[in-house]
Amino acid sequence: MTTPDEQPSEAPPLVRPYVITKGRGLPDDEQLSLITLVTAADDEQRRPTRRLTPEEQGLLELCAAGYLTVAELAGHTRLPLGVVRILLSGLTEGGFVIVRPPVERASLVDARILEEVLNGLQAKFG
Amino acid sequence: MTHSLQNPVLWALLVVLLGAIAVIVLQRRAAASTRQEFDGLRAHYAALESDFSQSVEAAHVRADEETKTVLKSAMRTLQGLAAEQQLVVSRLQSKYGDSVILEDLLEIDHTNSQFGRRAQSIAVLCDGWLGRQREVASIYDVVRSAQGRVRHFRRVEILSQVDFGITSRAVEPVALALAELLDNATSYSSPDTVVEINIRTVPKGICIVVDDAGIGMNDEERARAEKLLTSDRVSGVSALGNPPQFGFAVVGVLCERFGFEVSVDSSSPYGGVRAVLLLPHELLTGMPELKPAAPAPAAAATGPADPARNGFETSSAVPATGPDGLPKRRRKRPMAVVPSAPATGAPQGPGGRQDFAPQGYPTQGYAEQAHPEQGYPAQAYAAPAYPGQGYAAQGHAAQGYDTQGLGAPGSGAQTRSGARSGAETAAIMGAFQRGTQSGRATNPNAAETTSSTPAAGSEGHEVP
Repeated sequence: MTTPDEQPSEAPPLVRPYVITKGRGLPDDEQLSLITLVTAADDEQRRPTRRLTPEEQGLLELCAAGYLTVAELAGHTRLPLGVVRILLSGLTEGGFVIVRPPVERASLVDARILEEVLNGLQAKFG
Repeated sequence: MTHSLQNPVLWALLVVLLGAIAVIVLQRRAAASTRQEFDGLRAHYAALESDFSQSVEAAHVRADEETKTVLKSAMRTLQGLAAEQQLVVSRLQSKYGDSVILEDLLEIDHTNSQFGRRAQSIAVLCDGWLGRQREVASIYDVVRSAQGRVRHFRRVEILSQVDFGITSRAVEPVALALAELLDNATSYSSPDTVVEINIRTVPKGICIVVDDAGIGMNDEERARAEKLLTSDRVSGVSALGNPPQFGFAVVGVLCERFGFEVSVDSSSPYGGVRAVLLLPHELLTGMPELKPAAPAPAAAATGPADPARNGFETSSAVPATGPDGLPKRRRKRPMAVVPSAPATGAPQGPGGRQDFAPQGYPTQGYAEQAHPEQGYPAQAYAAPAYPGQGYAAQGHAAQGYDTQGLGAPGSGAQTRSGARSGAETAAIMGAFQRGTQSGRATNPNAAETTSSTPAAGSEGHEVP
């Protein structure tokens, strides 16, 4: 799982995650789930009130070309997932990214109805 | 005359005179010796006095040194523990990143950073260890690092950025000095005001300007601060007063040791103190290359450390790939980059997630590419999705593994073992999700995003 030559390079990152999030709290659980899709918004939708931090810039660049899941973004930036969610919720508020909640699973159709349809079809077409 | 000679009075007078002369001579002699003795005593006394003050001084110095040594080693232990704890907290943060515990972990992290900083400050005053050497970092990151070490970091705002880095030697001292300045700025201003940081390029280097909206310093405090910062630097902890005021003393020592300058002689436009930290050109360097914070196991195993390995840093610089060994995509940019093998000889360069497209298994095509990761998503995902083809997929994976063993010796057989880095897991999940999206094809945009996995859609439905 870990290789020996990986050990010495282990150093705590210089910029701590709570500074990256600027001390903001986690967004609601429903707001950004693991598989929520995120993409960068068009320029005219953005409401830049401040300069983006390098991490936010990195997230924007990652999802600039299409939809990426929150989990993927967290994996690529190597930031804790919650931190990415906090950053993304900030970016959403600023209109920098568009968030698309995951498509809900289609509910299963009642087997009885299917059976009736089958029966009907069979009755009609033999 | 003769009878006058016989006059006993005369004789008596003569005797008295002789006696007097003798007495005077004796007295003079005695006085001289006394004077000599006195001088000797005085010299002795002076010698004793200087000896005494010297030994007192020496005792002071020794006591100081001893205090310093004790404090130094004590602080070193504390610093080590703080650093260790920081690592543990970092690990916990990535482990429980998706739960509500994260907020508390961030709090703990913040407290721990302040604790580490206190220990560092005392260590600096005792000529001690500053902490482990950092890599070159951008000034913005160093400023943010300093920001993270003070209690009221939320009140600190960084208003400008410059594209410069700080040499690795100076990263920690500058961060610590700035943290002390920020600590002063936030402690001596009211809790609802903001402390502003501006970073400016000046002919002599770069200035980091800290403005607070506090009450400012009076002349006496200003004089003390100036003295500590420029000429009369403190050594040891004995002259810090009670309660000890570390801030300027620490900054002064750091300035002297590492060659930057700090002045606090101007007022901020908000009425408080303006502290200016001037970084000379010797301490500046170019912007550092972004590196992944911790190399993923797979990345570490696949070959020599390649800084351009994760998508985060290459996405802007390298639109598609090729020479740097990143997998090529049909998209404008690599949106999700699986850490790849060093030798990607494949002309079409399919990414790992393409492997579970049903037609994506041309045997020889696969064998051509020495791509360690490609085998394993195929193995992991094709099998459940296509029970009928599971065997084939396994076979390919095994083949890829073998070829790669031949073609690129030693390039990471471990990547196929059970452990997956966060990035890989994320990539796999993303592939999953895109497959589902493409299958549903509700949105032309979404369909476009999945163009790299054309056939994955058909399986998307089956994989809820």
